[in-house]
Amino acid sequence: MKNVIQGVFGAVLGALYTGFGALQIVAVFTGPAVPFVPASVFWGFVLLVIGAVLLRGARNLSRGLDDGIVFVNVGILLSVAFGAIALLAAGAGALEAAIAGEAWSVADAITPAAYLAVIGAAGSSRGAEGSSGGSVQHDATHP
Amino acid sequence: MIGIRIALAGNPNVGKTTLFNALTGSRQHVGNWPGVTVEKKTGRINRNGHTIEVIDLPGTYSLTAYSADEVVARDYILEEKPDVVVQVVDATHLERNLYLTTQITELEVPVVIALNMVDEAEATGCTIDRERLSSLLEIPVVRTVGTRGEGLDDLLDAAVREAKTSPHHEHIVGYGNEIEAMIASLVGVLAADKDLGDRYPLRWLAARLLEGDENALAKVKESPVSSRVQDILSGTDLDEYEAAMADRRYDVIAAVLPQVRTAGARSMNVSEMIDRVVTDRYLGIPIFLALMWGAFELTFVVAAPFVALIEAGLAWLSAAVAGWLGPAWLASLVGDGIIGGVGSVLVFVPNIFILFLFLSFLEDTGYLARAAFIMDRLMYAIGLPGKAFIPMLIGFGCNVPGIMAARTIEGEKDRLITILVNPFISCSARLPVYILFAGAFFGAAAGAVVFFLYVLGISTAIGSAKLFRHTILPGESSPFIMEMPPYRLPTVGTSLLHTWSRGAMYVRKAGTIILAGALVVWCLASFPFGVEYGSSESLAGSLGRLLEPLVAPLGFDWKIAVALLFGLVAKEVVVGSLGVLYGTGEEGDALSTALLADPGLSAATALALMVFVLLYAPCLATIATIRKEAGSWRWAGFSVAYGLVLAWTLSLIVGRIAPFFLGGA
Repeated sequence: MKNVIQGVFGAVLGALYTGFGALQIVAVFTGPAVPFVPASVFWGFVLLVIGAVLLRGARNLSRGLDDGIVFVNVGILLSVAFGAIALLAAGAGALEAAIAGEAWSVADAITPAAYLAVIGAAGSSRGAEGSSGGSVQHDATHP
Repeated sequence: MIGIRIALAGNPNVGKTTLFNALTGSRQHVGNWPGVTVEKKTGRINRNGHTIEVIDLPGTYSLTAYSADEVVARDYILEEKPDVVVQVVDATHLERNLYLTTQITELEVPVVIALNMVDEAEATGCTIDRERLSSLLEIPVVRTVGTRGEGLDDLLDAAVREAKTSPHHEHIVGYGNEIEAMIASLVGVLAADKDLGDRYPLRWLAARLLEGDENALAKVKESPVSSRVQDILSGTDLDEYEAAMADRRYDVIAAVLPQVRTAGARSMNVSEMIDRVVTDRYLGIPIFLALMWGAFELTFVVAAPFVALIEAGLAWLSAAVAGWLGPAWLASLVGDGIIGGVGSVLVFVPNIFILFLFLSFLEDTGYLARAAFIMDRLMYAIGLPGKAFIPMLIGFGCNVPGIMAARTIEGEKDRLITILVNPFISCSARLPVYILFAGAFFGAAAGAVVFFLYVLGISTAIGSAKLFRHTILPGESSPFIMEMPPYRLPTVGTSLLHTWSRGAMYVRKAGTIILAGALVVWCLASFPFGVEYGSSESLAGSLGRLLEPLVAPLGFDWKIAVALLFGLVAKEVVVGSLGVLYGTGEEGDALSTALLADPGLSAATALALMVFVLLYAPCLATIATIRKEAGSWRWAGFSVAYGLVLAWTLSLIVGRIAPFFLGGA
């Protein structure tokens, strides 16, 4: 049951990351069309990578492969790490604006990497609460 | 006070440096081993009436003489005869680590084993019977956890005790009747040379000779018994002996391990879980690229407020100094020369430290070893071993240690190619140039531009390696064998110490080379007397006009030509020189403003300039290192010429193509 929940969570979060990543890249060419989704090739690429890791986990779990949990967990880890980078960048932007006396808006801090990481972190903490301490058996034949 | 020398030996990635830092704290001295460019770290401790000197030997898997690190470690123990060798052993990889133990004991020195990372071994359910291990090897075994400073007192006590009272261990491996008979006959011959007997343990020397060890053969070459040794060795298959002796060492280890280690239930640990994803065939490289981009985003964006603060401080200082100093020339020297030159480099200290902090974090967690692993396929495709990627990664900090790190590569041609392409890896000295120009001309996209330059550097290094492999240095690359250390969460202190030891070099350079460069450029910009400061009539202007035809096709004017020329001393001097030539000492971000106001500069020219700075000739320190490591000025000269031609060509292409993408900006 836990694997099913993890699989669904990985699939939903992975789809969100992939979708928002694609939107950020497309916005570079078309201009930002969705609120709180700024144009950025690189942030878009990062979101696509995290999405790919999560979706790979969901796919493996749907096929009954236990190592899918590993991909979902590492995907969440990457999500939180890049969320932290996004928040640090936003905080630095606020500080720089304060030093230079420039305008700064909280909206600048609301980026997909930041708010999707909150979902990832929430899912991760719920997962940890519900964890029964199970482990993935080592499979020496895995490529 | 009684002086005791402890040599710290061990495999790479066993926490040896962490243990060394924990033992010696800040009482360290960093230098080079005599005659080679392998880093030597020593530290001093005062304890219970003993002055203990700790020497951190290079990490090695064995004491054969295949790499410079192995020769340095082995020769130090043999020639300098430390009072005791402390071998740091990774408890999670006992079998491989004990192989080195079998070789160290043959050197007939007192040995103590620091059984490190025991906590990680225990976390996997594995238990190790230290007392039994100690009794089987006849070596004291002390439990340590270097990251938490556990077991240090016990380790020092054991080392002091062993240094003062223990008889020498001769060996723990018997090689079987046939090999032992050969060793005995060689020892009999070698014993006739008293000098050899005084300098080296003869059993060890005989065993190495049987293994065909070139370094050992060189040691007996001048001996009067040399011909008799050759007589014995001439009829033997040394490769066969080497393999048989290695087998015997592993036989001994295989006999010891079941008696001392109880393995835990085998389930995938955290390291293996993370590795399954980050070394994935398809996801590994994208994850690596995403992390590296994250590093540059942090370097650029998070440092910005600190850069602004330093700029404000320098602006205040410059204005204050201008008010205090009477003669105009002195105010110009301090304001335009020193503050303008050195200050325009110092403002990037936050960027440098944040980049180093991130790289230290990735290195200390163990991720960089994975980066080398995932790049192996790509490296092999271009004809280099995956190991060659590590010098490239080190080159991100500074090309000098990056080139030195190529010493671990066994194949001579592999090593030479790795050395020659390392200058294309964007070192931290080039970062101020990127930040200045990308920040001024590309605004919010600056981080992406800097990332592009780093990727371009790696791509150029890889492309050049393939070119060299197929032209001037043909051959097959050697196979890649590398250990994956378990992931560890580094402590804040460890990461900060690593960051400081690397970042401080940048600050020191600002106070020495860059200061000198800024003063020279200021003089050139001020003389002859009576000319307008930094004008085309000044000496700098004359020099620049002389060089301008060479760089004019790239869109660079004489000021940039002068800055690039002085950038050969150190790449940061490019920024320092521009700071002086534009006379921007009195305002915080004045250099960026001056560059933007220069009608001769555009975003396309700025991009071409950054590409030129990335690729053109290495700095003087790097050139000298290439000469030393490659063994001739010919290769150093080739590196300079190749870099200049490549930089000029690519900058021309970028300068011509970029306006189409940047809208003629």
